[in-house]
Amino acid sequence: MVTRTVDLRSDTVTKPTEAMRAAMATAEVDDDVLGADPTAVRLESEVATIMGKEAGLFVASGTMGNLISVLVHCDIRGSEVILGDNSHIHIYENGGISTIGGVHPRPVKNNDDGTMDINSIEAAIRDPRGEIVYPTTRLICLENSHANTGGRCLSAEYTDKVGELAKKHGLKLHIDGARIFNASVALGVPVNRLVQAADSVSVCLSKGLGAPVGSVIVGSKSFISKARILRKTLGGGMRQLGFICAAAFVALKENVTKLEGDHQKAKVLAEGLNQVKGLRVNVAAVETNIIYFDIVERSKITAEKLYKNLEEHGVLVMLEGPYRMRIVLHHQISSSDVQYTLSCFQQAFNGVQEENGNHV
Amino acid sequence: MGTRTVDLRSDTVTKPTEAMRAAMSAAEVDDDVLGTDPTAFRLESEVARMLGKEAGLFVPSGTMSNLISVLVHCDIRGSEVILGDNSHIHIYENGGISTIGGVHPRPVRNNEDGTMDIGLIEAAIRDPKGELVYPTTRLICLENSHGNTGGRCLPVEYIDKVGELAKRHGLKLHIDGARIFNASVALGVPVNRLVQPADSVSVCLSKGLGAPVGSVIVGSKTFIAKARRLRKTLGGGMRQVGFICAAALVALQENLGKLEHDHMNAKVLAEGLNQIEGFRVNLAAVETNIIFFDIVEGSKITAAELYKHLAEHGVLVMPEGPSRMRIVLHHQISSSDVQYTLSCFQQAFTGLQEENGN
Repeated sequence: MVTRTVDLRSDTVTKPTEAMRAAMATAEVDDDVLGADPTAVRLESEVATIMGKEAGLFVASGTMGNLISVLVHCDIRGSEVILGDNSHIHIYENGGISTIGGVHPRPVKNNDDGTMDINSIEAAIRDPRGEIVYPTTRLICLENSHANTGGRCLSAEYTDKVGELAKKHGLKLHIDGARIFNASVALGVPVNRLVQAADSVSVCLSKGLGAPVGSVIVGSKSFISKARILRKTLGGGMRQLGFICAAAFVALKENVTKLEGDHQKAKVLAEGLNQVKGLRVNVAAVETNIIYFDIVERSKITAEKLYKNLEEHGVLVMLEGPYRMRIVLHHQISSSDVQYTLSCFQQAFNGVQEENGNHV
Repeated sequence: MGTRTVDLRSDTVTKPTEAMRAAMSAAEVDDDVLGTDPTAFRLESEVARMLGKEAGLFVPSGTMSNLISVLVHCDIRGSEVILGDNSHIHIYENGGISTIGGVHPRPVRNNEDGTMDIGLIEAAIRDPKGELVYPTTRLICLENSHGNTGGRCLPVEYIDKVGELAKRHGLKLHIDGARIFNASVALGVPVNRLVQPADSVSVCLSKGLGAPVGSVIVGSKTFIAKARRLRKTLGGGMRQVGFICAAALVALQENLGKLEHDHMNAKVLAEGLNQIEGFRVNLAAVETNIIFFDIVEGSKITAAELYKHLAEHGVLVMPEGPSRMRIVLHHQISSSDVQYTLSCFQQAFTGLQEENGN
C-alpha cells in the first residue's frame, strides 16, 4: 500500500532544506575552542540582537541550553530553582539540573494555560531567615510556549509580573524559549519584548525553525562567558561548528514567517479532530503548533490501537497515555497533509470502532 | 607583508576538505533523539567495528566522550578513578568528572613516556577493607597517545598489563584514545589490538583525522546504552546529526592514511629545531605528531617573545610556559610548511638574540 508519511510526532523531525544544505557546504569555519568560529559568532550575535540581549552562545541542544542556564544562575552549592511542575526542564531533561548540577528544584503547579500562579511562585521562594534548613532560591524558570499544556503562550504582561517578582526578591529569571518564536507569532508580540524581563533565554533552532541541530542561549556578556566555560565542561565545545550554525542561520532567516502557517494548520486539524465522534480537543487551548487530544471514554478504543492504525497509513503521532495523544505541526506539513491526516483519523476511528463491535 | 599561515597550535584546527563538505551536503539524516539518524548509526557502527567493540556513540567533543565514559563506569556515588596526574582528563577538562559527575580522582604520576608505573597504579587502588573512610575505586584511565608528555605511545604490552591489573581488582579500564590512531600508526599495531583490554575507548575525529566536529565512544552494548542516556542528560542529544557524522566518515576513510606523514613531518621539524642553537628537543620523545621544545637557558629570549615573532611570520605555536612551547602537526601542514617554519625559527632566534643584546 503506497502511503505518504505525515510525521506529526514533533517539530524536531524537520529535515534541513536545500538552502540549508547549500549554506552548510560553503560555511566559513574555524576552531571555536582555540578561537572563534566566524559563522557561530555571526549566529550568536544575530540571535542575541533579535532577543534584545547582550550576547549569545550556540549549544548542541535545548536540554544543554537549559542545563547551562540553570547551572550558571545557580553556581553556588545549595541553590534552588522554582519551575513549573509540568515544565520540560522538570519532566524531560533527566533531572539533570540535580543529578548533574546539584541544584534543587521547587516545582510549582502549572495551570492549564502554562502559567504558575504568581502567589504560588512567591510562596515558594525560600525565606532567608530559614537558611539553616532551607536551600537558597536563586532562579525562577518560565517556559514559553509551554509544551506540556499544549503549546500555550505566556503573555508579555505575565512574564513582566514574574520578572518584577524575581527582581523584588533578588532572583534571576530564565525563560525556556524553545518555542519562543511560536509564542511571539501567536501573541503578535515582538520576541525581544516578550523576553524583556528575562536574564537569560534558551531558543531552539532545531524545532519549528527547522535547523538540523542546536539552540542558542542569550543573556548578559558575563552570563554568556560563564556559560561558555560550562558548555566546555559538559562537553559541548565543538570545533568547526560553523556548518551547523550556517544551517541555523538559514532557519532563522527563512522559517520564522512560516510559523503562522503552522498555527493555522494546527487550528484546522484541531477543529477537524474535534468533529470526529469519539475524539475530543480543547480547541481554545490550541494557540500555536501543538494539539493534545483525548479519546472519549465511551469509544472503547485505546490510544495505542489508534496509533498503530494511523502508523499503517503513514501518519505518526505521539502517545501520551492510554487515551491521550499529541500532534505537533511544522513547516514540512502541508495543508494537504492535514486533510489526509483528518481522513486517516476518520477512517481509523470508524474501522476500529467496527472491529470492537460498535456500529457507526 | 605577504605571509602564509602555518597553524601548528593543534590538530584540532584542521579545516574540512571539499570531500567532507560534499558529504555533509548530501548526508541522509533523521531525528537522532526520537529515532536514529542513519548516518550517525553508520559512523558509530564503523568506529565500533574498527576498534573491536560492540557499539559506538557519537558525541560533540572529546571532553564529553571522556566525561560520559567516566560517569557511566562510575555511576554509583562515592566512586574513585585512577588516572595520570598529567592526563587530559585531569588537567584540561575543567575537573568535570568531579564538578559535574561527583567522581573523585586519584592521580598517579605520569612518567615521561606517558605510562604510569604498574606498581603505583596498584598501590592507588583503594582497599575495600578501608571503605568506611575510602571512596571506592571503580575505574582506571589511560591516555594513548599521551598528549602532555609529547604524544607518547603506550605499547600494547603495557596496556594489556594494566588491563590485567584492572580485571584482577574488578575495575573497568577506559582509554582516552583521542589520538589512538596516531598511536596505532606509530607503533604499527592494529587499533583494535591496541585497545583490546579496554572496556571503553574515546576516539577523536576532529583532531588528526580532520573532521570538523566530534568524537565517538565505543564499548559494550550495555555501556553504550547508558552512555546514550547520559549524553542526553548532558545536552549532547543532537537531532539531524548525520551532517557532522558524514564529515567524520570521510575523515576516517581518507585521513587515516595521512597520519604517517604527519609523524614524518614531526620528526623532520623536531630534528631541524634541535639543530638551531638555542632550542632543545628531546628527539627520542617525538613518536607521533606532537613536539615539545625548550628555549635553552642563557638564550635570553622568552617563549612569549618567540611566539610573537613567529606569529608575525604566520607561524602559530602553543606557549607552554616561560621557556617551553608545543607544536602539533596535522595533514594540512605540508613539507614545504615545515621548511618555512624552520627558517622562521632560525630567523626568529637570530633576530631576537640581536634585539636582546647577545
